[in-house]
Amino acid sequence: MKKNSMWSLKLNTAALVLIPAAVGINYLGKLFAGLLKLPLWLDSIGTCLAAVLGGPIVGAICGAVNNIIYGLTMDPISTVYALTSAFIGIAVGVCAYKGAMKNVKGAILTGIIAGLVAVVISTPLNMRFWGGTTGNVWGDAAYAWAIANNIPAFLASALDEVIVDAPDKIVTLLIVFGIYKGLPKTLTGLYKNDQEIESLD
Amino acid sequence: MAKIVVEHLKYKYPLTDKLALNDISFTIEPGEFIGIVGKNNSGKSTLCQALVGLVPAFYKGAYGGKVYIDHVEVAKSDISEMCKKVGIVFQNPFNQVTGSKISVYEEIGFGLENMGISRTEMIERIDEAMELLDISKYKDRNPFDLSGGQMQRMAIASIIAMRPEVIILDEPTSQLDPQGSEEVFQAVQALSKKGISIIMVEHKIEKIAQYSDKVMLLNDGKLIDFDTPQKIFSMDNILEYGIAPPAFTQICRGLGIYNKESGLYPVTLEEAQNIFFSKGIGGRSNE
Amino acid sequence: MKSISLYEDKNSVINMLAPMTKVIYIIAALIVPFLLGSNTISVVFIGISILVLIIGKVLKRVVPIIGFSSIIVLSVIIIQGLFRAGNVTPLFSIGPAVFYKEGLLFALDIGINILNILLSFSVLVLTTKPSDLIEGFVRIGLSPRLGYVLISVFQIIPQMTETMVTITDAQRSRGMETEGNLITRIKAFFPLISPVVMSSLVNTKERAIALEVRGFNSKQKKTFLNEEHKTMADIVIKIILVFAIVASIVGRVIIWLK
Repeated sequence: MKKNSMWSLKLNTAALVLIPAAVGINYLGKLFAGLLKLPLWLDSIGTCLAAVLGGPIVGAICGAVNNIIYGLTMDPISTVYALTSAFIGIAVGVCAYKGAMKNVKGAILTGIIAGLVAVVISTPLNMRFWGGTTGNVWGDAAYAWAIANNIPAFLASALDEVIVDAPDKIVTLLIVFGIYKGLPKTLTGLYKNDQEIESLD
Repeated sequence: MAKIVVEHLKYKYPLTDKLALNDISFTIEPGEFIGIVGKNNSGKSTLCQALVGLVPAFYKGAYGGKVYIDHVEVAKSDISEMCKKVGIVFQNPFNQVTGSKISVYEEIGFGLENMGISRTEMIERIDEAMELLDISKYKDRNPFDLSGGQMQRMAIASIIAMRPEVIILDEPTSQLDPQGSEEVFQAVQALSKKGISIIMVEHKIEKIAQYSDKVMLLNDGKLIDFDTPQKIFSMDNILEYGIAPPAFTQICRGLGIYNKESGLYPVTLEEAQNIFFSKGIGGRSNE
Repeated sequence: MKSISLYEDKNSVINMLAPMTKVIYIIAALIVPFLLGSNTISVVFIGISILVLIIGKVLKRVVPIIGFSSIIVLSVIIIQGLFRAGNVTPLFSIGPAVFYKEGLLFALDIGINILNILLSFSVLVLTTKPSDLIEGFVRIGLSPRLGYVLISVFQIIPQMTETMVTITDAQRSRGMETEGNLITRIKAFFPLISPVVMSSLVNTKERAIALEVRGFNSKQKKTFLNEEHKTMADIVIKIILVFAIVASIVGRVIIWLK
C-alpha cells in the first residue's frame, strides 16, 4: 500500500472540513480557559489536533486560517502571527507523523518542540511590531528584567516569548494526546489520503 | 432516463472483518419509487452510499462487484460526476448545511456553482426547487436559523436543483419532529409525481408501504427480497428480519382480510378498505 | 445566529466598493510608509483611514479593535520608556521610575505603526461582508476549496459557540466543578473540551460527505450566483493606490542607489 508523503498538498474533502472545525475548537478552548480562569491560552488545541489527524500541511493551514480569521474579526495584529500558528501546525504534524504522539512522553516532547518553534518565529515578529514585548504580564516582566540587566533586546524578547508559550504548548499537547487516545479509529482514519481501495472481486 | 443496475456488490469498511454488503444484485427501472427496509446495520446506508460512489471513494475499504447508473460504472467515476445523476439526502439536516452560504437562496445554489451552471439558469433552478419544496418564504434566512423540517427541505431542494434523475433519501425524517416528517414526506411525494426515481430508507413502515412501487429487504448485508410491498409485508417470517409490517397489514392478517387473487395482505388503509367493502369480509374460511 | 464578523451594512458608498479595492488599500497603507521609511506617511494613511471610516459611518466601531491592542501599546510605552538600551535623556518621572525620551519616541513610532495597521484593516473589515471578501479572492484565483474553508469558519464558529452553553450546563449538572482552586479548574477543562471535539469530528465527516455529493470536488470552472461588485470608483481608486505603491518602490530604489 503506497503511503503518501506527509508533505502532500492534496487534501481530501474531510481534511478541508476539519479545518473550520479545528478553528472552532481553538476558539472554544480559549473560551473554556477563560471561563475557568486558567493561566494559559489553550487556544491552539484544534490546530494541534488537526495536525495530528491530518498531517503537517493540514496543521499549517489550520493555524494560518485561525489567525487570519481572528485578524479579520477581532484583532488585526493576529494576522501577522499566522506565520507562528502555521509553523506550530507543521511542527506538531511532523512529530505526530514520526510517532511522537503515541505516549505521554512523546506528547510532552512535541509540546516543547512546538513551544520552541513559537519562540523562534514569534520573536522576530515581536521585535518588528512591538519592539520585543508580548503584552503578557509575566513575559513582559521578564523582558523588562532582562533589558534592565543589559541583556540584548533580542534575547530578552525570546525569553518573554518562552514564558508565554512553552507551558501553554506543553499543556495543549497533553490535552490533544488525551483526546486523540480516546477517539475511535473510524473518526481518525478519514483525514489522510493514505488508504487504497482493495478489490474483493 | 437512469436505470440502476447492481451486480454482485460486496463491500467491507476499512479495519473491519465483516462484509457490510454481501453479494447484492438488483435492477431499478427509471421512475420507480423504491423503499429499503431492514434492521439497523443491515447495510441500508452502505448500499445508498454505494449507489452514489461514496462507497468506495470516500471510505476506501474493500470493494467488489459493479454498480451502473445509466450504463456508467459508479466505482470508476468521480463523485462530482455521479452527483449530477444521483442525489442523496441524509438523516441529519444540520450537517448537510455547507456553512459557507449566508442565505437559503445561496445555499441551494452551492451545488450549481460547483457544476459551472450559468447565472440565469441557476436562478431559474433555485426558484423552481424552492417552489417545489415550499421554502420560498425562507429564501433570505440564514440556513442555520431554520427548523429541522425546514432545513431538511432545504437540503432536498439543494439536491433537486442539481436535477438528478435519481434521489436517494437515507432516513430523512429520523431526526425530525412529526410536523417536520410530514413536510418531508409531502415533498418526496411531489418529487415522485415529477417522474424522478426515488429510493428511500425509512423506519416509518406505513410510509414505505404507502409510497413504494417496490420494497427491498436487507439483512446482515444480504438482499433478502425485492418485490411489491404487499409481497414483502405479507412474508410469514418478516419479524425475523427485525421489521414489523404496517399496522393495517398486521390487523388484516389477524382478521384474515386478504387479496384473494394474490394471496397477499393489504399494506395500506385504502387497499384494506377496498378488499373489505368490495368482497365482504374475506377470510380463509370463505369459499 | 450571532456573527463573529464586525461587519454591518450601513448602506454607504464604502460598502459599495469591491473588497479587492480595500485589500489593495491595506497593502498600500502598509508598504508605502515602510518602503519610504517615513512615519509621516503612516500618519497620512491614518488620516485617510479615519476619513474613509467616517464616510462609511463606522468610525465608532473602530474603538473595540483599537482597545484590543491598547494594552500592549501601553506595556510597550512603559517598558521601552523605562528600560530601552540607549535611554539617556530623561523626560519625566513617576516616583522612582524615570521615563526617557529615546524610549518614548521609540514607543511612539510603534504606536503610529500599529494604529496605521489597525485603521487600514478596519476600513476593510468594518465595511465588507466576509463572504464577499472571500468570494473576491476566489474570483481572482484563490482555490474555491480554500475559499470554502475560510468562509465556513465564519458560520461554524458561532454554531460551536452556541453549543458551549449547553455543554457547560450539562457537565455542571453532572457534578463538574468549575470554580475552586487551580487543580479543580484544570480538571474541569477536559470534560468541557472533549464533547466539543467528539461532536465536531462526527459533524465534520457528515459535512464532508454532504459537500462531496454537491460537486465540491468538481473539476469544472466554478460560476458565481452573486453579481460582481464593480464601479467606476473602484477602478479609479485601484489605479491611484497601485500608482502609490509603484512610486514608493521606485522611491526606495532611488534611496538605495544614493
